[in-house]
Amino acid sequence: MNNPSAGPSSKTKVGSSQSSETSFKRKRGVFQKDLQHMMYGFGDDPNPLPETVALVEDIVVEYVTDMVHKAQDIASKRGKLLTEDFLFLIRKDLPKLNRCTELLSMNEELKQARKAFEVDEEKLASTE
Amino acid sequence: MQTMKQSKDPFEVAFEEQEESPPESPIAADENETQTPAAAAASGQGDDVGTSVPPSLPSTTTGAAISIGAAGPIVKSKEEDEEEDEDNMEIELGKFPPSGDPDKMAKMQTILSQFTDGQMNRYESFRRSGFQKANMKRLLTSITGSSKISVPMTIVVSGIAKMFVGELVETARIVMTERKERGPIRPCHIREAFRRLKLEGKVPRRSVPRLFR
Repeated sequence: MNNPSAGPSSKTKVGSSQSSETSFKRKRGVFQKDLQHMMYGFGDDPNPLPETVALVEDIVVEYVTDMVHKAQDIASKRGKLLTEDFLFLIRKDLPKLNRCTELLSMNEELKQARKAFEVDEEKLASTE
Repeated sequence: MQTMKQSKDPFEVAFEEQEESPPESPIAADENETQTPAAAAASGQGDDVGTSVPPSLPSTTTGAAISIGAAGPIVKSKEEDEEEDEDNMEIELGKFPPSGDPDKMAKMQTILSQFTDGQMNRYESFRRSGFQKANMKRLLTSITGSSKISVPMTIVVSGIAKMFVGELVETARIVMTERKERGPIRPCHIREAFRRLKLEGKVPRRSVPRLFR
């Protein structure tokens, strides 16, 4: 099975000419490594079964796909897809909603921190 | 998955490769202990702490102490620069964002201090694991068809997806205890867990009517 478009090496995507393709054959095992750690963290074995990881990946991709489609439906009235559309989708699911707002505010804080860091660096450079 | 032409198990190879990057490869020190860390932590603590640990640990809601590790998923998503990872983590630990409850933070600290090695290992994996930003971005781009996927959107979707994985795995473990089975989670458990989540309405269903039934 020497299909050049499939296989683990395609994950790293050196040539991004196929970035708009939606062939799932190419996407096998994209999240495999991340998922192994994640499943262990949530309660699975330290070495989850490969077929389990593959199934979870399929389910997650389907979940994200369905959610994005729903978000697009909501956003189609306005035109552009925004982050707020996803937040609207999960508004009933409080743990997820809280987590997302937390992540977003942390992202903002990090951005501010990085900006401040750069300003300080400039100051140091100019005083020297 | 792929053909195991290599001499080793593909996961072993993957775990060895993983040595270079920050998240440690979870090695099974003692399987029984890591089996139910939440339950073990609950039994180790007092009752009031114990009842709050299992639900709050996996689904990080407003936990203030989580703010330390909340940098985890975001930090890890910048995996281009490994050193930056460490620096960012230290910035976060030093900043100690006051967005949280000092009570909750103190509680969290007491719990964390009493973790066994296996529990700490698992907790670390829980905190630091996440979807690669690049991969998620690629997936989102292919789904939406549009080119511009903002960084916050990637962060939000990654967070939601990670919590969904958590729901799947936890429900699968519940299914396993009901069936009195042990060991690694098998696909049949995941399928049953997925079915239950659908019944609970936690999975977005397409409202488009199916043409072919």
